[in-house]
Amino acid sequence: MPDDGFGIGASLLRREDERHLHGRGEFVPDIKLPGTMEVAFLRSPHAHARIRGVAVPPAAKGRVFTAADLPRVKPIRVVTQAAGAKSPPWPPLATDKVRYVGEAIAACLAPTRAEAEDLAAAVAVDYEVLDAVVLAPRDMRGSRHPVHDGWGDNLYSERVFEGGDIAAAARAAELTVSREYRMNRQSGAPLEGRAVLAYRDWRLDEIVVYASTQTPHTVRVALGECLDLDLRRLRVVAPDVGGGFGPKARLYPEEIILAALALELDHPVRWVEDRGEHLLTSAHTRDHHYKVTAYADREGRVLGVDAEIVVDAGAYGLWPQGPYQEAAMAARNLPGPYTIANYRCRASTVATNKAPMGPYRGVGRPGACFAIERTIDEVARAVGRDPVEVRMLNMVRPEEMPFTTVGGMRFDNGNYPGSVRLCAELLDLPAARARQQRGEPDGRLVGVGFASFAEQTAHGAAEFVSRGASIVPGFESCTARILPDGSLVLMVGIQSHGQGLETALSQIAHHELGIDPARIAVRHGDTESTAFGFGTFASRSMVMSGGAVARASRMLRDKLCQIGAHLLQCDVAAVQCADGVVRGPQGSVTIAEIATVAHLRMDGLPPGVDPLLDMTATYEPGIGTGVFSYATHGAVVAVDPETGFVELLDFAVAEDCGTMVNPMIVEGQIRGGVVQGIGTALYEEIPYDEQGQPLAGTLADYLMPGAAELPAIKIGHLHTPATATEYGMKGMGEGGAVAPPAAIANAVRDALGAEVNETPITPRRVLAAINKARETTPS
Amino acid sequence: MTAIRLRLNGVEVAKDVAARTSLADYLRERRNLTGTHLGCEHGVCGACTVLVAGEPVRSCLTLAVACDGWQVQTIEGFSGDPVMAALRDAFHRRHGLQCGFCTPAMLITARDLIRRGKAGSEAEIRQGLAGNLCRCTGYTNIVAAVLDAAATQGARDAG
Amino acid sequence: MKAPDFDYVRPHSLGEAVGLLAAGAGEARVVAGGQSLLALMNLRMAAPALLIDIARLPELAIATEDGEAVTLGAGVTHAMIEDGRVPDPSQGLMARAALSLGYRAIRNRGTIGGSLALADPAAEWPAVLAALGAEASVRGPGGRRSLKCAGFATGIYETQLAEDEIVESIRIPKLSADARWGYVKLARKSGEFATALAVAVADRAQGRFQIVLGAANGAPLALDQASRALASGGGNLDAMRAAVASDLDRAADRHFDEFQRNLHIVAVLRAVRQVTP
Repeated sequence: MPDDGFGIGASLLRREDERHLHGRGEFVPDIKLPGTMEVAFLRSPHAHARIRGVAVPPAAKGRVFTAADLPRVKPIRVVTQAAGAKSPPWPPLATDKVRYVGEAIAACLAPTRAEAEDLAAAVAVDYEVLDAVVLAPRDMRGSRHPVHDGWGDNLYSERVFEGGDIAAAARAAELTVSREYRMNRQSGAPLEGRAVLAYRDWRLDEIVVYASTQTPHTVRVALGECLDLDLRRLRVVAPDVGGGFGPKARLYPEEIILAALALELDHPVRWVEDRGEHLLTSAHTRDHHYKVTAYADREGRVLGVDAEIVVDAGAYGLWPQGPYQEAAMAARNLPGPYTIANYRCRASTVATNKAPMGPYRGVGRPGACFAIERTIDEVARAVGRDPVEVRMLNMVRPEEMPFTTVGGMRFDNGNYPGSVRLCAELLDLPAARARQQRGEPDGRLVGVGFASFAEQTAHGAAEFVSRGASIVPGFESCTARILPDGSLVLMVGIQSHGQGLETALSQIAHHELGIDPARIAVRHGDTESTAFGFGTFASRSMVMSGGAVARASRMLRDKLCQIGAHLLQCDVAAVQCADGVVRGPQGSVTIAEIATVAHLRMDGLPPGVDPLLDMTATYEPGIGTGVFSYATHGAVVAVDPETGFVELLDFAVAEDCGTMVNPMIVEGQIRGGVVQGIGTALYEEIPYDEQGQPLAGTLADYLMPGAAELPAIKIGHLHTPATATEYGMKGMGEGGAVAPPAAIANAVRDALGAEVNETPITPRRVLAAINKARETTPS
Repeated sequence: MTAIRLRLNGVEVAKDVAARTSLADYLRERRNLTGTHLGCEHGVCGACTVLVAGEPVRSCLTLAVACDGWQVQTIEGFSGDPVMAALRDAFHRRHGLQCGFCTPAMLITARDLIRRGKAGSEAEIRQGLAGNLCRCTGYTNIVAAVLDAAATQGARDAG
Repeated sequence: MKAPDFDYVRPHSLGEAVGLLAAGAGEARVVAGGQSLLALMNLRMAAPALLIDIARLPELAIATEDGEAVTLGAGVTHAMIEDGRVPDPSQGLMARAALSLGYRAIRNRGTIGGSLALADPAAEWPAVLAALGAEASVRGPGGRRSLKCAGFATGIYETQLAEDEIVESIRIPKLSADARWGYVKLARKSGEFATALAVAVADRAQGRFQIVLGAANGAPLALDQASRALASGGGNLDAMRAAVASDLDRAADRHFDEFQRNLHIVAVLRAVRQVTP
């Protein structure tokens, strides 16, 4: 496609920037309504306890709400079709039991947040403390006080994935590599926490809920169920959202309670999550345990993988998908981008007394990538070959595409080995090796590591149905409306919270209609003004929403041509719509002129053509099983063997997401994802003690990467357009976060000779690995 | 409640505030200057950074009452400032922002670096921005933007 | 989280501040930069009934020097030291330490006196001032007294300061022109609290050889044997390592696990290497 600087392929600068650069963004906490009362939640200090009683001071009557005070609120219920899965109800305010530190027990209202916190501190709760379930692998089959009453164990679900013949692979193996891996629990930690502002709009007879969410339409569906309200009486708006990354793509108790309060009370109510609450109660993520055995031949070809995955999913399932997808996704991605033909994996999703687990950039994939990519490296070392070569040896080759892996992933197309080669080039592998050889003057050890993955994106109905989902986000929608003056509004069901969709989607419409993006507005995040859509998550928005924008724009284009041909008095087959005009053999008419006719001068319309220029379209890709972007990440590290500190010297990404609508935005997404992956690799962790107390409650304990810890991230692209999507786009938003832990762990292994198989790779873990390697190495 | 007077974005304001009201909450809730954001309220994330007496401070760790009589400048108060204008232009061109939540504080901190001559190299800028977390961009483009803006200011000063 | 309620007063003199503190009967606290105290209050981990704001007291803003020492008011900020806006008695050590402390926005408000008085175990100033042989002048209802900075902190968030005393100024003896120092702060992330902190000062002309450990699970730990090893040259790594290990083992008021112990030894050895390369 020719690039005119505004369409597909253009690195068009973002229209979103203007407001944010001037501090005029509108995040939920920025919205002021007269008479708003602030809410602070009384939260459980115990991980597991029965509530014997709640004593509200008499002076606080009417300002403290427990579950008993909001009887219309129904518990959150995840409905799953997955066989054997357990789905406990989750009362938004605790009733008889609390199951994680931070679980909300009462909403306390006051004119200021500070006073609301004072109020919460004055409410006394009588607890009977129970044993906490904290160690998922140990307690999954049962504990003295199971997390959920009536369960004989602490398992939400358990499933075995199998393909080929693992026993045969074991017999045929010339070597076996067995390892345990651990990715520790962490937070998604967007810079803006969650927030909810709710009020009753009497004129429209609606409860309006402003929420810092990625999925306003489905939140609305859930609120309707939980509050027994027709959806026509609910409006959910996600205004500017300060980062989401997955944790904000789920329904939370606070959204339900604030909406319920707005129904009961005669004033707006607001709750703004603070950082402590976020680390305590917003979706926890990662927290996987792996046992992996790889059977290989002497060349390093992996014949089979036998694995156990345990996911610590916390106390409840987040709506709508519940806790199940993390383990299933990890199991299905563990075979990686490889032709491994034999597989068995038991994936267990465990209930514990911790905050519920939710999706976070990559979801199950970073853990799976960590496990398989570390294993590939160890197989390579076992056969005495370069991990780069063994990686490529096992990879699915372009000519083998489409390829369905033994994990059930149907790769569409791509050059996976090519990404390995490109990544090595970007990293200047020979130079890195030379530096490693030379040794550092300060005694640090340099290492290089790689990790590759394929990322399923824009998967549709078929995929979600196969997961047993009862909510199937298999499409997106767009209402494209040309206004009487020829300007265009795109109303979409996704929610842009940093991905630049207000810009990128306008590029697609420009491509189809030729309207200047400066005359295109993208409206998103508001259930009032957009047709139903599912929101932004799962790397889906450009493909799904972009596809819907394309379809709706083409429908508009057809009507513009019809009207334009009539105005030009020629045949519709003789006109073309481009560059903002409809051109015929003897002249042209502008879209603005057509829009005037369609709205204000309907007498000019051709017979049989209705007024308005308003089209609603939905879109789902041609393949329900997803289109796969892929990448290889490479890291160069310097490890201080005396202190265990790891410095990242260099990081490169060689990726392919097909057609890039806005390359600048794509690279921004990659870099942001990579740094989050680096956070997982080196810094971020919420440890728990035996009583279920989380041990990282502030950003002084919960470390996140800052600019000083990081190198510039290098990026290179391959281009394999998808065949089943508009323009050949593939999703890519999450990929950056998938491979860094594996690449960095492989680099540390390369530097030290010792293995660190747990994230984050802290100095303590590095030194422990060095010491362990010394003990087991004959001197 | 205590009466305080501030010179806020160039305008004299006088208000009664509760002692425990942070400068951040005062600005956001009482003055409706919501460009200053709260990300942690314990001084680590940097999203609340504003200028007090010309210097960047954490408005979450500053009491409004403690600022009585001082100059306070928020992101809303830099119109006509050439360094800020150069930074805004550079951030836009370099895609130095995504969700926008860290952006006002990042700009204020970067401006201070440039004005103190501490934005001469990538390494120096990275150190100088260590106290401003961004969860979206991965920092690469932010650093490039600050380098660009610093260069224009250097050229301006030299010219 | 929002701070619990309190009363606020801004006295106009240090004497007035001391009087208010004494009258507060343990329920009052002074606040200077507030970078530590307000963070604790926002987390509801501290709840004084009265906050006495001493940030603007002229007595605390002094910065003077004579032939032998520099005296800094307790209200001098980390940024002022970082920038060299106050005289430096330490041949650059204090500026180096200031630069490593938190972030610029924190340094613009946080004060050297506040850091000393709080005695956070991972803080920089208590260790640096101990190594430099500084002395704090504190004011109480009964008048002034002088306390050596080495030993000022007696434990984690514990000092020799009485409940009604305020740090007024810190007198830091000047290092000789050819004194050498080493400063090693190990932290995983720029600006965060130290995981290990070693300060070494070698001023042969004045006979001052001092190695002090911060981030040491308690008050800053003066390493006496290591300091003596430094005095005899410090070049023998094995001897230095053994001396540090011995000092750590003899620290009866605290416990190190293997990782911490090892890290402290490494930090000290690296600080010593800066002194005697």
